[in-house]
Amino acid sequence: MSGRKAYILGKLIRYAFTFILILSLNFALPRMMPGDPIVNLLGEEALHNDPRMIELLRAEHGLDKPLHIQFSGYLRSLARMDLGYSIHKNLSVAELMANSLFWTLLLVFPSVVIGSIMALLFGSLAGFKNNSLIDYLLTALALLFYTCPSFLLAMLFLSIFAFHLGLFPLGNLTSGGREGLDYALDVAWHLFLPVAALSLLGASYKFLVVRNSVTQIFDEQFIVAARAKGLTERCILLRHVIRNVLPPFISMVALSFGFMVSGALIVEIVFSLNGMGTLIYDAVVARDYPVMQGCFLVLTVFVMAANFAADMLYAVADPRIGGNDN
Amino acid sequence: MRQYLADISSSRLRLAGFIVLSLFLSLAILAPLLAPHDPWETGSPYLPPSPEHRLGTNDIGHDILSELIYASRVSLAIGFLAGLISIFIGTTLGLLAGYYRGWIEELVMAISDVVLLVPGLPLMIILAAYLSPSMWNIVLVVGLLWWCSTTRVVHSRVLQLKEMPFVEAARSLGAGDGYIILHHILINCKEIIQAKFALAVASAMLTEASLSFLGLGDPLNISWGEMIHFAFSRGGFANDMWWWYLPPGLMICVSVLGFVMISMEGERTYKTAEI
Repeated sequence: MSGRKAYILGKLIRYAFTFILILSLNFALPRMMPGDPIVNLLGEEALHNDPRMIELLRAEHGLDKPLHIQFSGYLRSLARMDLGYSIHKNLSVAELMANSLFWTLLLVFPSVVIGSIMALLFGSLAGFKNNSLIDYLLTALALLFYTCPSFLLAMLFLSIFAFHLGLFPLGNLTSGGREGLDYALDVAWHLFLPVAALSLLGASYKFLVVRNSVTQIFDEQFIVAARAKGLTERCILLRHVIRNVLPPFISMVALSFGFMVSGALIVEIVFSLNGMGTLIYDAVVARDYPVMQGCFLVLTVFVMAANFAADMLYAVADPRIGGNDN
Repeated sequence: MRQYLADISSSRLRLAGFIVLSLFLSLAILAPLLAPHDPWETGSPYLPPSPEHRLGTNDIGHDILSELIYASRVSLAIGFLAGLISIFIGTTLGLLAGYYRGWIEELVMAISDVVLLVPGLPLMIILAAYLSPSMWNIVLVVGLLWWCSTTRVVHSRVLQLKEMPFVEAARSLGAGDGYIILHHILINCKEIIQAKFALAVASAMLTEASLSFLGLGDPLNISWGEMIHFAFSRGGFANDMWWWYLPPGLMICVSVLGFVMISMEGERTYKTAEI
């Protein structure tokens, strides 16, 4: 088997294993956590129903049956895209999430891309000009964003740029009543601040890592050799340094998806955007467990998919993987 | 101890971090002496800053400055304990995986892959929502999910150390695995573990702040994150009462920065030592 195929197969097995574990965790949590499993499955609102109804629901969820039958039932309902029912909102969890997921992804994707590009650009600049004024400035700025809790940064942005300066809307996704390009521009205007906050939060950590690895690579022998050959600094940075930073950078960006999704949830709440974060927040307040679990499952699957895509990209960026088949 | 202090003062960043953290620690320990009011004493609500209440009062008339000072105890304790749990798990797993290799290594790496992949906050939200809202549950939830990076770093360090001549020498003298791990390998991972511990506390404090911000904090032990939660959900933010949400936010920033700073190696001293 060629190197690349083996690499992809290995990754596939690892992701399948992770996926099964996540499903099992999602199945096990409501059943093993303290409290009545039926409440854990349906949310605290279920208790307001009359006791006979609760017994019926208990039978319907098969909580009186052995665990392996419950588990296969759980898998079958997942295969039907049935993520449970929110008594609190009186809607199925899948329906509740359909819209929210789109908006959360619309917040996460641009932020990941912008944050990563910023980190790569400024990180290599700071590493390249190690111990210069610009390096100190950029590093201090990155540390500031790194230590700032996501909600605080979002609140400050909202307070300064929207509330006091009036440059941006105070929240929500659209002003409503627009179509076509106008609508898209309106959404972009509404999303500007949240995306800016999330990009900076995501860029800060990546910046620090890129800066350190660029600094380290400059100490390597092959850079000395490249200098001795008479290559310009610019050429060394672009052709030798970035090339070596790229593969670990891609896997770092992939792993940061989980962090970015977590950050997006918080940022959404502050900007009152109707995404997964707001959904989870409402669910937390009402102790609406099926919604929380459904959101967790969907977000995890999304993060896994993003990681898988990045792993495939990694195989392209790092010629050592599967280099022997061409 | 003297060695440690010498280490610290070798780098200005570390020294600054150490000073910041000492200040926060004394703030937490001396809270009853420093707080101008009893943080649970209720007065008139929503007061703006005044000489009597330097940072005003919150929605139920608690003095915000006193609440802020007492909250440092909760935030620091949660961060510290959760960091301790995560560093303990991370170090143990890293040592075992790196030293014994084989299936233990495969298993530990597979588990840490899974934990790294799962978006942390949503899982913690679920766990914290199922468990009753208490400080100890937050410590557990955060501590149990933050060990992966420590495991990886310790693991790769152990792989290096294991091949070194002094470990082989110890083994040829008949030292057992337990002795070698504790007396030769763990000792040499000390610096990494110290740095990782400070970073783990920093991450734990940020995570705790996010959970508390979502309203999953301990209502009996108010932390900085929880103060912001109340400011946000009870009109402090909407009414632009910055004295309510900004100070706890800055406290989180500065204390986390302190922990990050003491984890930084003195870059220059490190390099000269190498040459």
